[in-house]
Amino acid sequence: MLDIVIRNGRIVDGTGLPAFQGDLGIAGGRLRQVGGKLAAPARHEIDARGRAVAPGFIDPHTHFDAQLLWDGQARPALEHGVTTVVHGNCSLSLAPLKAEHRAKLVGMFQQIEEMPDAAFRGAFEWTWESFADYLAALQGRVALNVAPLAGHTPIRMWAMGADAQKRAAKPDEIRAMQDLLRACLEAGAVGLSTSYVDMDENLAPVPSRYAHREELDALASVLGEFGRMLQVVPEFYNTDVTVARVDQLAELSLAHGIPTTFSPLFDSAAIPDNVPRVLERVAEQFARGARVWPQVQTRPIDISFSLDMASLYFIQLPMWYMILRMPREQRLALMRNDGTRKGLIDAAEPGGDTARFARLRVRDSRDASLVGRTLGEIAAERGTTPAAAMLDLSLEEDLGVHFLAASMGHEDPKRIGPILANDLVHVGASDGGAHIQSFATYGDTGYLFSEFVRAGHHLSLEHAVRKITGDTARIWGLPERGLLQPGMAADVVVFDPDTIARGDELPARDMPESGMRYVRSARGVDTVIVNGEIVWSAAGGYTDARPGVIATAGA
Amino acid sequence: MVAEAVIDEAVVAPGHDGQAVLVVRVRHENGASDTVTLEADQARKLLEECAAETAEQLRGQPWRRLLTALER
Repeated sequence: MLDIVIRNGRIVDGTGLPAFQGDLGIAGGRLRQVGGKLAAPARHEIDARGRAVAPGFIDPHTHFDAQLLWDGQARPALEHGVTTVVHGNCSLSLAPLKAEHRAKLVGMFQQIEEMPDAAFRGAFEWTWESFADYLAALQGRVALNVAPLAGHTPIRMWAMGADAQKRAAKPDEIRAMQDLLRACLEAGAVGLSTSYVDMDENLAPVPSRYAHREELDALASVLGEFGRMLQVVPEFYNTDVTVARVDQLAELSLAHGIPTTFSPLFDSAAIPDNVPRVLERVAEQFARGARVWPQVQTRPIDISFSLDMASLYFIQLPMWYMILRMPREQRLALMRNDGTRKGLIDAAEPGGDTARFARLRVRDSRDASLVGRTLGEIAAERGTTPAAAMLDLSLEEDLGVHFLAASMGHEDPKRIGPILANDLVHVGASDGGAHIQSFATYGDTGYLFSEFVRAGHHLSLEHAVRKITGDTARIWGLPERGLLQPGMAADVVVFDPDTIARGDELPARDMPESGMRYVRSARGVDTVIVNGEIVWSAAGGYTDARPGVIATAGA
Repeated sequence: MVAEAVIDEAVVAPGHDGQAVLVVRVRHENGASDTVTLEADQARKLLEECAAETAEQLRGQPWRRLLTALER
């Protein structure tokens, strides 16, 4: 008997070929039949009439390293249909890591990925130093599949100690790093991550940034033994340097026969030629036979701020910017002063035009009823103006209220749509599990369908599914995933193609010790299956199943 | 033709981490242009170095003033 039958679905198989109607049968964690009519009964039946049935989505850029140890479901990524995650990006992984380096690495995670202290201390037990033992700690704990990268930073710290953040490596240290990386790959690592950008908690460059070219070349040669991925954070804010990094990655790809990927790459009205120039060079390098995959996120970028700091958001308003740069007590006194307050409001709303602040939203407030509402709405309710409402709310909560200027960059669907549809662009860079107190990194897959399939028609349903399933599995070398074909691992998501989307961004206090983060719930997703077991459904929520495996090893 | 590279414009853009950044476009002597992205502290230094109160007032300032802003 089959374990699960999904009947009457619109099967979108991850290849990009046209969808077709049919049933899907699952047994023993694998797909047994894809298409046709299944007469046989099953232990569990799902009616997918009017729904799409697709391979589980694969998220190639996350930082769930720690979260998976106390939340094996990587909530809420799983309910969005994400069944496999790549973590350990940006040179940072929790293994291999000597016990004496744990505090230092946690500091880097907190600085770079904005993760709270409680996520690392007390929420789980550190039982490992080696990569293999870290993977053992995940086994039986995770509801979704994991494809972890080994981080260049902890590898360097292991081999060089404190000197990892001081100098280039000596030949024997490079050999030690090669041996370490080889052990990680043998244990199941999907590749190596490194960074040219990030800083530690003391604003010193992270260890990976001290590596000379010879060191990265030596590590890439080990990746070549396994055909595994090199992931890089380039100087993404500078087009010229990013183009140079594309060339560097291409040389490593060609020399060692490895795939490489870099992230982030995003579009902005401030630098409109950034993406076109980078993609032009990427295309040239692919034509040479190199593999240099740029990762592009689907979601727009927001700016968030409070009046507790002088955000550059106010740089066009000199009076605001000047006052926000003053010491806190002086700033509070001026904001309470009637004359200064009138001046601030007049500057923000010249001639009574309230447009500048009216669309800003409250991101976080002690008053939960305010969260998500615009200053325009709140001002109307209070009989005041948006600028006055911003000042009042901030003073009422001792400057603790946070505001959101939504969709300030990477926001033009007419520009982003064709980028995402480009065959040389890898859809990803969600940063899931990171920046949790700044914005929600969940729901990028739903947004891909709502904005770029349904609204903009930049991709077909089949193309969009392929981009986050079959393509991702192929780019990363994940066997038996990303496609709905008999014999493949039964990672499946059932969703409504007419409604799938991301929910609103909301604060939640579900981190260890009731810590706050921003989340988005899923819309339009019905059922999520990992290795043949239902892990989430719209009707029943999260289940107790923990069927996730190390995805590099196959099903 | 200008005698040396100058700041052509400076606009606010969103950074990767959700914070606002200042993208400064520099125009070179030969007419080519390039951008430099500054975080909040760096932008503040640039404004002080140029005795500017607004981003608009950075226009026409010599590019060398960026060097001070970029020093950590």
